[in-house]
Amino acid sequence: MTKSFLWIVIGLFFPLAIQAQDALIPEDSLGFRDFLILQKEVTGLEYQFLIMGDNIPDSLLRDSVYTFSKTDLGLVSGQFEDFGKLDTLEAPLAQSNVAYQLQYLVFSEISSRATVREYLSTLIENGGHQIKVVEPQSKIDLVALASKSPYSPLQKFKLKFVSDYRLFGVTLTIAFFFLVASTMIAAMLVMKARKNQRENLEKEYESIVIDPLTSLLFEKELHEIEQMDQEEIYLFFPQQMLSKKLFKHVLIESIIGLNKKMKGEFKEKLKALYKKLELDKMSIRSLHHKKWDRVTMGLAQINEMDLVEAMPEVKKFTNSKNFYIRSMAVSTILNLSEKVDLKFLRDQTYPISLWQQMNYLRIIRFVSSQKNIKLEVLFDSENPSIRIFGIKLVRILGRVDLIENLAAFAGSVSDEEKMEILETYASFGAHMEAGFVNECMKSSNQALVLAATKVAMVIGDAESAEILVGLIHSESSFPRKLSLLKSLYGLDKERFDTETTDHPSSEISDIRSHILDPMLQHV
Amino acid sequence: MKKILIIEDDKLISSLVQFRLKKDGYETHLVCDGNEGIHAIDTLDPDLIITDVMMPFRSGIEIIHHAKKSRPNTPIIVLSSLGEEEQVVLEAFNLGVADFIPKPFNPNELAIRVKRVLK
Amino acid sequence: MYSFLFYLILEIFGLIFLVLSFSVIVIYLVLMVLSALEMRDYLRKNRFADYGDIITSPIAPGVSILAPAYNEGQSIVQNAQSLLSLHYGKFEVILINDGSKDDTLEKLIHSFELQKTNYVYHPEIETKPVRGIYRSKNMSYRRLTVIDKENGGKADALNTGINIANLEILACIDVDCILSSESISRMVRPFMEETNQRVIAVGGVIGIANNCDVQDGTVTTYRVPETMLGKFQVIEYFRAFLMGRMAWSRINGLMLISGAFGFFRKDLVRTVGGYFPKTVGEDMELVVRMRRYLDEQKIPHKVAFVPDPLCWTEVPENEDVLARQRNRWMRGTIETLQLHQTVRFNPKYGVLGMLSYPFWSIFEKYAPILEASGILYTLILLMIGDFSAVYFFALLVMMYLLSLLVSSFSVLYEQIAFNHYKDKKDLRKLIWMIITEPFVVHPKIIYWGLMGHIDFIKGKGGWGSMIRTGFKKAEDKKNLAEQSRT
Repeated sequence: MTKSFLWIVIGLFFPLAIQAQDALIPEDSLGFRDFLILQKEVTGLEYQFLIMGDNIPDSLLRDSVYTFSKTDLGLVSGQFEDFGKLDTLEAPLAQSNVAYQLQYLVFSEISSRATVREYLSTLIENGGHQIKVVEPQSKIDLVALASKSPYSPLQKFKLKFVSDYRLFGVTLTIAFFFLVASTMIAAMLVMKARKNQRENLEKEYESIVIDPLTSLLFEKELHEIEQMDQEEIYLFFPQQMLSKKLFKHVLIESIIGLNKKMKGEFKEKLKALYKKLELDKMSIRSLHHKKWDRVTMGLAQINEMDLVEAMPEVKKFTNSKNFYIRSMAVSTILNLSEKVDLKFLRDQTYPISLWQQMNYLRIIRFVSSQKNIKLEVLFDSENPSIRIFGIKLVRILGRVDLIENLAAFAGSVSDEEKMEILETYASFGAHMEAGFVNECMKSSNQALVLAATKVAMVIGDAESAEILVGLIHSESSFPRKLSLLKSLYGLDKERFDTETTDHPSSEISDIRSHILDPMLQHV
Repeated sequence: MKKILIIEDDKLISSLVQFRLKKDGYETHLVCDGNEGIHAIDTLDPDLIITDVMMPFRSGIEIIHHAKKSRPNTPIIVLSSLGEEEQVVLEAFNLGVADFIPKPFNPNELAIRVKRVLK
Repeated sequence: MYSFLFYLILEIFGLIFLVLSFSVIVIYLVLMVLSALEMRDYLRKNRFADYGDIITSPIAPGVSILAPAYNEGQSIVQNAQSLLSLHYGKFEVILINDGSKDDTLEKLIHSFELQKTNYVYHPEIETKPVRGIYRSKNMSYRRLTVIDKENGGKADALNTGINIANLEILACIDVDCILSSESISRMVRPFMEETNQRVIAVGGVIGIANNCDVQDGTVTTYRVPETMLGKFQVIEYFRAFLMGRMAWSRINGLMLISGAFGFFRKDLVRTVGGYFPKTVGEDMELVVRMRRYLDEQKIPHKVAFVPDPLCWTEVPENEDVLARQRNRWMRGTIETLQLHQTVRFNPKYGVLGMLSYPFWSIFEKYAPILEASGILYTLILLMIGDFSAVYFFALLVMMYLLSLLVSSFSVLYEQIAFNHYKDKKDLRKLIWMIITEPFVVHPKIIYWGLMGHIDFIKGKGGWGSMIRTGFKKAEDKKNLAEQSRT
């Protein structure tokens, strides 16, 4: 691309170059003469002298250099090629007062100055003649001549240009690389150094923390710790350490770590210490941090150390944009609220993931072993994922008492919720809800039908069996047929036998032996 | 004075246990990974071993194996955050450990169990 | 005239190489930054995760582990046992004996008290015939199912497993991989975290087990392999997994999940018709096809990546074996890219079409060709004595420095995130490898890649023409199967 572009550019400038050469040959007769003298010899170009009249001195006539011969016009000298000798040849003629004329010949033919000029420029242009220039005598002349110097070959000009853009590109690339690479390396090294330093300090602090904590825990009773002044507790720790942020951080981590692994009165002692050391204030303060992980960390600490006084703050985070913050906030509230009120969960707008459900379930399960939780609040949520979670909770926590609540709205919810309700009924063995199951089996949603038939296996009635048989007859997909027959087998073995024994279709008999194989029954 | 070897990677927990057992007048030794644990069993000849199950380098199971082979009469107490129904814990019981204490635990309770095992 | 053309071509190539080297540098630096950010976030996230809960929670999804085996008689029983002892609540293990010529099946039957069942195999995805499906009489092996089928290759074997899998998540693994007991719970987490974006697949890191001590399914002591090729692959795997995949997962542009350790949503895999057995790059092809399908359906989705060290494998340290592996990888890449040409620079396919696909084309598929011709180019310039050879030589040196930078960064990541190679000697060995690798191993990799190209052009596999036209739509794979069935 570049190269062809270059050629176009050169092509455009070429005519100008020729004109420049033309201008090198002077137009005036004297200048032209001087120019020719300088060139000495030019291929095909000669000159002669013509003398009008015949009154010339004999000395000249007889001079063998001129070899004059007589013509109609007068005496004509021989033809000379070397213009360098023009001056020496002309001088005797000028001195002898004869009328003479200088004539130019192009290929032995007498030509006018203009014709000779034209011939010369063509010759130069074709490279047939190398122009000679006057040796420079002064700087001013040099400049003047430089502007007149002939156009040099193209090759060199091109190379310089091309290597320039490359040089530019490569330099730029290398500079860019070194800049970024060095900043990255510097950043990495700084990070690693900082991390190392921090880790070393943490290790040191961890060993410092052990002694005061163990002596406080074993030598003081809970009520003693509660009655101690802050200063008294501070005396257990090395001086000035507690003013260091990192030390406090290590202390928090250690207390929380112990709290997780300790039981009984030790847990209470740790919590009392946490508050006496005013670490709780640090936890609560980190809720206002910009980084999400610090906020989450603060929430986790509040959760672990039962900092009930932070509850109003924590509540603000339940609908946070950040997944981790809102999960942790919800867990904390579930854990710390006096009476577990799920209304705040109902009002969550973000869909809740399985991960969150798992975390909340763990806490709700723990709490529900002590107090009664109103799960039904969740059924009124605007958020479908919360409603589904509510139904799941009914099943997992075994809240048979809520079946009626489920039944009340089961008919009017989305198919996804219906499937969840079906599964719940099946796990409770809720035979009284067979009607709902049959209803679902008649749905146009294949997935719901399939879910319902599986449930029918457990809690179906006679009508369910009829519907199942109908479905089996009209079903063409093999895997669904297998699933339907499995349900029928689970629901009504006799009916299954009449449907499948000695069936002409090998497909059905294959399915029959599959279902009857005891090895395939506990999957 | 009875010698007790404590193999546990959590420094805080082990120091706490050590502190509590010292109060009862035992001589205690702390090591914090499996390799050191095996070495200490051979060199210290302890009267009781308290070990965690999940640790760096060597698992608690390996330590128990080793201890049962080289010091078949030394009782072992397992201290672990794994539940009692976990495969590894069952394996430990099969190897004949004296007692199992799940975390979270109460150091005072641990002290009582140590006393009972050493009787 | 000829010399003019020669110089013109030289010029054009010069420009191309200049632009390429510049973009290589920019892209790798961007990848480094992206992966660093992703790693930082992941490590932060991990602080708040309690994986113990997943194992027993009724909310956690079920996982079907699919492990194809071909002539694995030596180790199959031990491998199956370690799979069965993974820590997870709801999971099943499906071993697929892909027509082994040794005693793989007999050993399994004997050790796990297997019996042939009356399982009626009616596949949704077409596969080679199944000879029998086995289960155990012993209740402690109730999680195990063994399929005995005729040989059809890895993709076909996995498809058979997909057909009979019962649970929501599929874990496709190489049977000889060492899996950490935590691996399922960690890999399942991204699926569980999905809120408004469907998580369709999760990939994991493959570690290198050569020369390491292994115990209870985890690598206990890490040691750098003895051979040059082994050490090279350690660095290469760091680069690929900790840097490459981490960065791509940050912008949700992952195109490849390692076939040795990948988790997928079963319903989606079945919808798109499972693995495509006609390509040697079946793992990459499936991910691309799944992504394409969801993009065509306009469903937002994500392919996630878990950088925790959970899976280890023995990599080939023998030159011939490695050459074959690289040749196959190259062909797999070419085939996948050919099959899904429609995606290229198509804004409909988002990051996949606009970034991942072009990246793979240039930096994976054409990399060996471009590199080889770049070096050739510099040599020609040097020979004809062109002055600009100096610049290109400088560029080559730059590329070398870049490779040093990228490799040492990946090793540094490993140091910061996991710090497995504890011995200082190991680190020194790795650093020496980083410095020498571009001269001693890299040329071989280029050569093997080129051979892959040649083999692809020769049409190894016989499905050349089909692959060259490619899939018009993601569902084409399924239609293809249906056509051949009727």
